[in-house]
Amino acid sequence: MKKSLITLAALVLAVFLAAPGFCAEPIKIGALYSLTGGMSSIDTPSLRGAQLAVKLINENGGLLDGRKIELISADAKTDQKAAAIGAKKLLSKGVIAGIGHSDPAFVLPSAPRFQKKGIPFVTSGATLPTLPKMIGDCMFMVPFGDDDQSFAIADYSFKVLKVKNFAVWTDNSMDFTKTLSRFYKQRAKELGMNLVLEDFFMMGDKDFSAQIARLKAADPKPDCVFVSSIPNEAGLTTKQIRENGLTLPIVSGDGFDTELIVSVPGKELANDVYFSTHTYRADSRPEVLEFVENYKKEYGVPPENAFAPLGYDAIALIADAITRAGSADPADLKASLAKTNGFQAVTGTISYTRPSGVPVKGVSIISVKKGNYTVEEIWFPETN
Amino acid sequence: MQRPLKLFLTLIPLLAAAGWLTQTHADEYLLAVVCFAGINMILAVSLNLTNGFTGLFSLGHPAFMAIGGYATALLTFSLDKKPLFLPDLPAWMVPLHLPFFPALLVGGLLAALTAMVLGACVLRLKGHYLAVATMGFLIIVQVLLNNSEAITRGPLGLNGLEDYTNAWWVFGWALVTIYVCWKIKFSSLGRALLAMREDEMAAGALGVNLFYYRNFALTLGAFFAGIAGGLWAHLITAVTPGSFSLIMSFTIVVMVVVGGTGSITGSCLAAIFFTVIVEAFRPLEENFGIYGVGEIVTSLILISILVFRPGGIFGSHEPGVILGSNHTSKSVNPNSQGANP
Repeated sequence: MKKSLITLAALVLAVFLAAPGFCAEPIKIGALYSLTGGMSSIDTPSLRGAQLAVKLINENGGLLDGRKIELISADAKTDQKAAAIGAKKLLSKGVIAGIGHSDPAFVLPSAPRFQKKGIPFVTSGATLPTLPKMIGDCMFMVPFGDDDQSFAIADYSFKVLKVKNFAVWTDNSMDFTKTLSRFYKQRAKELGMNLVLEDFFMMGDKDFSAQIARLKAADPKPDCVFVSSIPNEAGLTTKQIRENGLTLPIVSGDGFDTELIVSVPGKELANDVYFSTHTYRADSRPEVLEFVENYKKEYGVPPENAFAPLGYDAIALIADAITRAGSADPADLKASLAKTNGFQAVTGTISYTRPSGVPVKGVSIISVKKGNYTVEEIWFPETN
Repeated sequence: MQRPLKLFLTLIPLLAAAGWLTQTHADEYLLAVVCFAGINMILAVSLNLTNGFTGLFSLGHPAFMAIGGYATALLTFSLDKKPLFLPDLPAWMVPLHLPFFPALLVGGLLAALTAMVLGACVLRLKGHYLAVATMGFLIIVQVLLNNSEAITRGPLGLNGLEDYTNAWWVFGWALVTIYVCWKIKFSSLGRALLAMREDEMAAGALGVNLFYYRNFALTLGAFFAGIAGGLWAHLITAVTPGSFSLIMSFTIVVMVVVGGTGSITGSCLAAIFFTVIVEAFRPLEENFGIYGVGEIVTSLILISILVFRPGGIFGSHEPGVILGSNHTSKSVNPNSQGANP
C-alpha cells in the first residue's frame, strides 16, 4: 500500500515536471529579480508586470506562429553572488534573452554573462546611463538614464519655476542618489543657476531638522531645493520641510514617484512638489489605462509602483523585437532590439538611436499640489 | 605514513577527477555552485584558524576579502580597459599588471599585512571587544572603498573582470588552506593556540607568547581570506563595496559554529552544506513561487544545531575516520581530550 502510494506520487511528480515538454517548443526568457531581501519591494512588482505581459501574449496566441513564451524566474536575493549564480542558471536552461534588476549593483554581476554568450539582457529598472557602454552591445535599458531625469527636472526648475538660486540635499549612502545630484548640478550650472547650499543625509535618517535649519539660514535665499532620495526619505523630507514653514518648491527625480509624499505629510502639506519620472503616473494614454486595468484584473490590486509597468515593458519590448525579426535566435533578436524605433511602451516611447545605448524616452514632470498629482509636461532628451 | 596524510593524498586525485568532471561535463550553473562551495570552504577553514583554534572572535573576514579582491581585480584589470574605466587612477598604478596567480598572492599578502597592523592595534582587546573592533574595521574598509573613487570607482565598484576563477583554482587553494591549517592544528604551534583558547593565563604561564600567537592566527586567516576575495571577484567578475558586507561575515561565522569551532572537517562540510542547501531549494521556490524557503530552512537547521549540539557538529575534533587508530594517543594530537583513553 505504502509502496504503491510512493510510486503514484513519483509518477505525478514526473508528469508535473515533464508537462512543459509536451507543448510546442516555447520561447524561453529568463527573469532575474531580487524577490527576497531589501530590493524585493521594487523587484517583485517588476516580475509581476513581466508575468502579466507573458500571460497576455500567450493568451493571444503567442509569437511566431503560436510559440508560447516561457518565463523562467530566478531569485537574485538582493545579493551579487546569487545574481551571478542566477544568471548562469538561466543561461544553462537555454534562454534567448534575459530581463531584470532595478539596481546596477546587480546588473553588473549578471549581465556580462549574457554578453559573453551573445544573449541580450534587458534591464527593466536600472537607470545608470553608462550601463550599455560598460557591458556591451547585448545590454538594453527600458528606463531612461539618470542623466535624462536630472536634466529634465533641472530644465523645468529653470524655465517654469524661474529658479535662480538652488539648494541640493543628497542621500549620501547610495550611488543612485549621488549620480542624480551630480547631473542636476551639472545641468543647473550650464543653465546659469547658482548653488547656494549643499547638504547630505543618509538612508534611514528620520530627523532632518539640522538640514532644515541650514536651509532656512541660507543666504541668498534658495528658490527651490533638490532632494535626491529614495521613497522612504521622500515622504519624511517633504513633511518636515513643510512643517517648518518653508514653502519653497521641492524638486526631485523618480525617487519621489511614490504615494508616500502625500500620505506621510498629509494632503495640505504635500504642496509645490515637482519630480521627474517615468511617463506612467497620472498619465491617460490608452497603453497606461489598459495596463492598469489588466494588472488589477490579474492581481486584484493596482500596480504598486512604476517598476510594475517597467517589467511589463521589458517583455513587450522583447516580444516586439522577436516579431520584427521573425526569429527567436539571440543574434537576430539582439540586432532587432538595437533597431527598436518608436516602440509604444507603457512607460513611454522607446527608441535606441543614441550612441550611448540609453533609450530616447520621454520624462514626465509631475507636480503635486494639495495632494494631487498632475503631469505638467513631457520632456524629451536631445537626440544627438 | 600517517592516516590523515594518506587520506589527504587520496583526496587530491579524487578532487582532480571531480574538478575535471565539473569543468568538462557540468553546466555553468553547477560549476558556479561548486566554485562558491570551494570558496566558502577556504573562508570557513581560514576563519576557523582565528575564531576556532585561537578563540578570537573576529567579524573582519569580509574586510580582508575586500582588500584581496580589490587588489587582485586592479592588478589583473586589462591595460586597454584601465584608462576607460578608471580615468583618475594615480599614474603609478596604471602600468601595474600581473597574471592571475601572482595577483592573487599579492592580494593575499596585502590582506595579511593589513591584518598584522590591525592585530598590533586591536589584539590587546579581548572577547566581544575584538568582535566590535573587527566589525569597525570592516566598516572603515567599506567607507574607504566607497570614497576612494579614483581607484575603486566608489559605490559602483569594478566590473568587467576576466573570469579566471574555475574549479581548478578554487580546489587548489582549498587544498592548500586545508593542508596548512591541518599542519598547524597538529603541531606545537596549534597546541599553543588551542591552549590559549582554553585558558590564556595557564598558556601564558607555560611560556606561550599570547600577543604574538594571536597576531599570527589573525594574519594567516586574513591571507587566505584575501585569496578567497580574489577568487570571488574573478568568479562574479565584479566587486563593489557592498559585496563584502557584515551579512557575509555572519554567514562565514555560522559555518564555523555549525561545523564545530576548531574542527577543520566540520568547517569544510558546513561550507559545502550551506552553499548547496540554498541552491537545493531553488527549484521548489521557482516552481511554486514560494521564494525565501531556502533561507527559512537554513535558519531552522542553524537553530536546531545550536539547541541540540551547541558545540557544532564536530566540536573541536576531527572525526576518527580521518584520524585513524592513533587518535586516542595524547602525545600525537590535541584532539584526544574527549576520547576514551
